[in-house]
This record gives sequence, C-alpha cells and structure tokens, in this order.
Amino acid sequence: MPRLPRFLILAHKDLRLMLGLGLGLVQTVLLGLLIIFVFSLSLPVGETMSGQGAAAIFWLASVFGLVLLFNALYHLEEANGVRLGLLLAPISPTTVFVGKALAGGALLVLAQIFFLIGLVVFLGQSLYGQWLWALGLVLAVDLGLVIMGSLLGALSQGQAARESLLSVILFPLLVPLLLGGVKLGGGLLSGVSIQDETQWMTLIMAFDALFAAVALILFPLVFREG
Amino acid sequence: MTQSDPELVSLNGVGHYFGQRLVFRQVTLGVAPGEVLLVLGPNGAGKSTLLQIIAGLLTPGSGAIDWTLEPGEIGYLGHGTCVYPFLSASENLFFWARMHGMTPAVEDITTVLDRVGLKAAALERAGTFSRGMAQRLSLARVLLLDAKLLLLDEPATGLDTASRSILDQEISQARARGAAVVWVSHDARRDVLLADRVVVLQGKGQAFLGTTTAYQQWWCDA
Repeated sequence: MPRLPRFLILAHKDLRLMLGLGLGLVQTVLLGLLIIFVFSLSLPVGETMSGQGAAAIFWLASVFGLVLLFNALYHLEEANGVRLGLLLAPISPTTVFVGKALAGGALLVLAQIFFLIGLVVFLGQSLYGQWLWALGLVLAVDLGLVIMGSLLGALSQGQAARESLLSVILFPLLVPLLLGGVKLGGGLLSGVSIQDETQWMTLIMAFDALFAAVALILFPLVFREG
Repeated sequence: MTQSDPELVSLNGVGHYFGQRLVFRQVTLGVAPGEVLLVLGPNGAGKSTLLQIIAGLLTPGSGAIDWTLEPGEIGYLGHGTCVYPFLSASENLFFWARMHGMTPAVEDITTVLDRVGLKAAALERAGTFSRGMAQRLSLARVLLLDAKLLLLDEPATGLDTASRSILDQEISQARARGAAVVWVSHDARRDVLLADRVVVLQGKGQAFLGTTTAYQQWWCDA
C-alpha cells in the first residue's frame, strides 16, 4: 500500500469501522428519516410543505445526524485508551481533526442522500433540476457542520453526558450556518433561482473560514485535554 | 549504558497535583539509552502519573522535564491497550505503524505477532481477545514502533507465565539494541533482576533512586 497522508489513514480506518459495523450511520439515517416523516404528518392530506419549511427540516435532520456521527467517531478513540496512542504518534493534532472531519463529512453526505429521498417521498419536494446548485449548497454548509462537529466532538469526548453536551454547545453556534442553508435550500426547493442570493452564500463561506481558523487553533488543546 | 550517553529524558524536581491532591513532588531522575529503570511504589504513589509525565501526556505541576527524543520515539504501554476492538490484530498493527510513518510489509507484522505469540490470531478481531492476549497485542504495537524509550505501565497485567517470559525477553532485547525502558511494576522481587536502576515513589515523593544492588540494601534496611 503506498504511503498515504496520515489524515487519510485515520479517515479510512474510521470509515471502515463505521460502515463495516453500522456504527453511527444507520442511527443517523433512521433518526433523520423519522424527523422528516413526523413533520410530514403535520401536513393536511394532499398538501405539500413550503420549500423553506422542507429545507429547515432537512438541515435539522442533518444537525441531529451530525451529533450522532461525531459522537460515534470520537467514541472510537475512547476504547482502550487509543487516544493516548494518537497523542504519542508523530502527527500533529490537526491530522486527527482533518481525518475525523473527512470521515464525518463522507458519512453525513451519505446520510443526506437518504434525507433528500425522504424530502421527495414524505414532503413532496422537488429540486426543479437545480442539482449543481443544491450540491454546492450542501457541500458549503456541510463543510461548516463537519468543522464544528470535529471540534466539538473532541471537546465532549470522555464526558458522561456527551450527547447533550455536544447538542447544547453545537446548536446555538450553528445558527448563522443554518439560516443560510434554510434560506438558500428553501429557494432551491421552491424552484427559485439562488444565483443572486450571494449574501447568504457569503455568510456560509465566512462561517466556514472563521470556524476553520478557530478549530485549527483550539483543536490541539481540546484533543489533548479530552 | 555509559556515562557519556546523553539522557533520553531528564526530570528535575518534578511534582504533580490532581486538583488539590498532591501526587508527588521533587522527583529528579534521568534515563539513558540502554537502561532499564524500574518504578516501584504502593498504590496511589503516582507511578502511572510519572510515566504519563515522561511520555509527555501530562504536564507536570512543578519542576522541569527535558527530552532529547523526536516525536514518535516513545513507545507507551499504559493501562489501556491502545487497541481498536473492531480491527483484527494485524489491522491494528498496520494502523499504528502507518500513523508512525512506517510502511510495514505483511511479513513484518507477522514477525512481531509471532514474537508475542499471536501469529495464529493475526486475523481475529482484537475485541475477542482475552485481557492477556490484548496486552500482548499492545506489547507487539510498542515493539513494532522500534521506540527509543519504552514506557511500560504494569505490562505483566493479565499475562500468563509463558507471556511473562516473552515480556522479559523483549525487555532484554530492547536494552540490547540501545533502547531505554521505564517499567512500572508491583513484582519488585522478580522484576528487579531485569533492571539496572530502581526508583521508589512513596510518601508523596521519591523515596529511593539507585542501582538494584543499592535498592536491595535499602529495602533490607527499611
């Protein structure tokens, strides 16, 4: 096997464990679909939800899924003290951060494919052919989500109440990102062109850049003390 | 070990607290290449804490510590086995080797598993191993990394008599290739025979530091 960058080795190991054992991903998909289904019950028969409402439900499912995925990803390093092994390996903590973010991002995108199908099936939504814009939006928002998930997942590792701790810290911080995601996603699902909505995309990109910088500074401290 | 060998790690007046509780203070020692240092003391004396400080996993509350080692040159076998339970024995070793920048061949992994008596279990999930087998896999991980400083925290935990012999053999081989070993043990009478020097943590501090011969005299006097 050729020598891979170590963040890829870590991400590959995580994906193997998570996909091979069904850790995290199955629960994420089931929870997300359940959320979408429960919201579909609020609709009168024959009516479809507004694009913005459907987008809000999609991102809500994604954020709950994010909590589950990053809890599971960092839980892998808690068993048998393997975190200490990573700390002693000749790698920078950033390697762990990027590896976890990459694995979490791949799993989140996989889960979101099921959520999109859920939007079509349960909420009667359509993307009106704007697939590329939708892909760009999902990737831009997901980047911010996995940056926060990887940072805060490390922060909550080893804590008895990690699920609630991660949720309590994560959700308020994600508000700007989710606002952008809901606004632009709502436009896409309503068949409105989002090409001119540059201020929301700028907000999302600024969030990604700001929290990437914050995570690169804080992660080494957080992971070491975890 | 010779007098001219630079110490791999040296501690000067190191102390540590957990919250308000003093674990130990004023620990001063050094470890040179090819030396086996046995760490003894009663439960709660701070032996594992000392090892974690030497590994750089804990920052000492007081005093200074200096290393002449590069990152990745410390092999640490702690109370946790550093083993992923859902990966096989060989996958665990491949993973840790690659994280240390190594690209081992299958034969390298097989050889090190053979050294610790786990060759037949190479493809089995580590989570199905007994405590002793997991400990041997953890030892294999440390041996594979070819570290210059081995930190072993009660490495004999869960090992049967045959595995203890393997451990003794590996410690001797590590010393022979010039690696230093810092070894926490509760079986002083047996393990002192393999050591060059002994440090005893007791009464919130360093009660003794010296050669094994001096330790035996100190112990008799005490």
